Amino acid sequence: MKKPDELERTYVRKVREGTQKYARDLMAENDRLRMLIAALESDRVRLAERARSVESVLQEVDLLRGAVSTLEREKLGVQAQLFAAREELESHRQERARLEQQVADVEKESRRFAEQYVQVEAQNTNLANLYVASYRLYGTLDRQEVLAAIQEIVVNLIGSEELGVYELEAEDATLRLVASFGIDPTAHDRIPVGEGRIGRVAASGEPDIGAGAPVAARAQEADLTACVPLKLDGRVVGALALFRLLPQKNGFESLDHELFGLLGTHAATALYCTRLQERLAARTPA
Amino acid sequence: MANKKILLVDDSNTILMVEKMILASEPYHLVTAGNGAQAVERAAAERPDLILMDVVMPTMDGFAACRALRARDETRAIPVIMVTTRGEADKVELGFESGCSEYVTKPINGPELLAKIRNLLGE
Repeated sequence: MKKPDELERTYVRKVREGTQKYARDLMAENDRLRMLIAALESDRVRLAERARSVESVLQEVDLLRGAVSTLEREKLGVQAQLFAAREELESHRQERARLEQQVADVEKESRRFAEQYVQVEAQNTNLANLYVASYRLYGTLDRQEVLAAIQEIVVNLIGSEELGVYELEAEDATLRLVASFGIDPTAHDRIPVGEGRIGRVAASGEPDIGAGAPVAARAQEADLTACVPLKLDGRVVGALALFRLLPQKNGFESLDHELFGLLGTHAATALYCTRLQERLAARTPA
Repeated sequence: MANKKILLVDDSNTILMVEKMILASEPYHLVTAGNGAQAVERAAAERPDLILMDVVMPTMDGFAACRALRARDETRAIPVIMVTTRGEADKVELGFESGCSEYVTKPINGPELLAKIRNLLGE
């Protein structure tokens, strides 16, 4: 059994050891708490910084909201201007379309006038040709001049440099060549009425301008293009035969038919007048 | 402003009359000549603004007259329109070689003739 002193010393030692251990534990706890405080302080600083950052962002957001609001107002103004501009543009487009239509109408009218002007010029030429042909036929009582006028009309106004003018000799029903140009007169000198295309024209009194029923042609008539009867008071007194046309002449036009009609009656009359004049001159003493 | 003067040259009265009537609707002063030699003399004296010249004529034909016109200082620049019966390429070429400015073929087409005259007169 231990002595009381020993027991006391043991107790003291144990208390001391317990106290020392407790002190160590306290120290350890203290250290842990200090570290925790340091960590918390660090978190606090970090959070404070973040809070300041968030505050800054919020301020920026407010500024941006203000700017957006301003931009919205500006946008509305621009949209209103755009709308007005679109309306103006549409108005201009309509005006432009109207003006373009007016220009097109004016151009169309101008073209129509130009075409009419050309038609008038063409008609003027046709009338000039008819007038000149008539004037030339009746401008003289000299037979050779009338024949020359017929030739000039055919060459210059119709466009053929191969022609023959025939007169009817009633006694033997024959057409006699009285004037020619560009053809061999001996080959066309006399044509019996009713023979070949030229003779048929004299027999029928109808012109042969290539549009009628085909008629057997004489060998000399291979190049015949048109033949017109010369009539006096509806009676055939001769014929005008046109052979090849000038190279640039592709066919007969309405004026040519008018000239054929004019020559058919007026050339015969003019030639008849020259004969009367010749008879009159023969009767009149010199 | 004085009317433009045009010299018409042809030995055929028929053609001269037709040309005069076609041109009568325009404000031109017309003078005439009956052959190439007359045309050269008339052109030197009248100084026309344009000459309308037939090709086949007695005394001097249209080609020779055109060459004569081109050889003289006072008539060299006058535009000449040849009026040809035959419009084949060789005839036309001969006309241009002799110095003509344009050509028209017979039978004369009024609108065509007027268009060529207006063009050469700068109208």
